[in-house]
Amino acid sequence: MAHLLREKGFNAFIIVGGLAAWRKAGEPLEVVPHDDLVHLPTFS
Amino acid sequence: MNDLFAFVAHHGYLAVAAVVFSEAIDLPLPAAVALIAAGAAGATHSLSLASVVAVALCAMLAGDCLMYLLGRSMGWRLLSLICKISINPETCILRSAESFYKRGRVTLLVSKFVPGLNAMAPPLAGSMNMRFSQFLALDAGGALLYIVCYSVLGYLFRDLVASITQGVQTAGHAVAIVVVCAFVGYLAYRLWLYRKNRVYRVVPRVQVAELANRLRSEEADRILVVDVRSHGYYDSGAARIRGSVRIEPNNLPTEIENLPKTKDIYVYCT
Repeated sequence: MAHLLREKGFNAFIIVGGLAAWRKAGEPLEVVPHDDLVHLPTFS
Repeated sequence: MNDLFAFVAHHGYLAVAAVVFSEAIDLPLPAAVALIAAGAAGATHSLSLASVVAVALCAMLAGDCLMYLLGRSMGWRLLSLICKISINPETCILRSAESFYKRGRVTLLVSKFVPGLNAMAPPLAGSMNMRFSQFLALDAGGALLYIVCYSVLGYLFRDLVASITQGVQTAGHAVAIVVVCAFVGYLAYRLWLYRKNRVYRVVPRVQVAELANRLRSEEADRILVVDVRSHGYYDSGAARIRGSVRIEPNNLPTEIENLPKTKDIYVYCT
C-alpha cells in the first residue's frame, strides 16, 4: 500500500509494528467513529 | 485409520467422546470414522449403540457450544482471523456473514457433513448473536443427524468396515500425496510473493516513538496517519490511532483522490 502511494507521488512511510506497537508504546488511541463501522448482519 | 478403530474398540465411549469433541473444536480428527467404528462395535455388542449416540452428542454439543461462546466473546475478530488466509479478507468476511445470515438455520443442520463449514458455523452463530437457545436446538438437530448417520452406517455395515478401512487407507495415501503437493505449491507461491514484494522494502519505515514525537511537534499539521488494515471495522468499540483516517485497500483509486499530497502519510495495519 505504502509502495503504491509512493508510486503515485505521495510521501508515504510505514509505521513499524503497526497498531500493536502503537498500543504497546502507550500512545493515544481513539474509538472508531460509529459512521466508520461496517454493519454486518446479526440475528439479534 | 486401523489405529483409530483399535483405539475406539479399546477405550470405548471415552475414545468416541474425545475424538468427537476434538473435531468439534476444529482439531483435525475424523469424528465420522470414530462413529463408524463405534457403530460397528455396537453391532458386536462391545458397545451400546444408544450410549454411543448419547456420549457423542454430548461431546459434540460441548465442543460446539465452546466455539459458539468464543465467537460470541470475540465478535467479528474471530471471522477476521479465519478470513485472513483468503485472497480477499474483506470479501470473505462480508460474504460469509451475508450467506450465514440468509441460510444460517439450515446451515447449522447440515454443516457437520461439510468439511470447513462445520468449523465455521458455531463461531459464526456466536459472532452474529444468534440466540443461544436457538443455536443449541439447531446444532443439536444437526449433530444428532450426523452422529446417527455414521454410527448406524457402522452398525449396518459392520462386516464391510474392515474392507472399508482398507479402502480408506488406500485413499488416505492418495490424499497424503495431494496434501504434500498442495503444501509444496503453497510454499512456492509464498516464495514468489516474497520475491515480488522485495521492491516494497524501499519504503521508509519509522518507529512509533519517532512518529509520536513528530505528532507532538509543530509538524503535526503536515502529517496524516492512515489505517490500511485489510478488513474494516466490524465491532463497536474498535480502536485506532488517534486522529488517523481509514483507507479501504480494495477501493484504492478512489481513496487516493482524497489524500493530500502536501502531507507526509504514515500507514499502519494491525
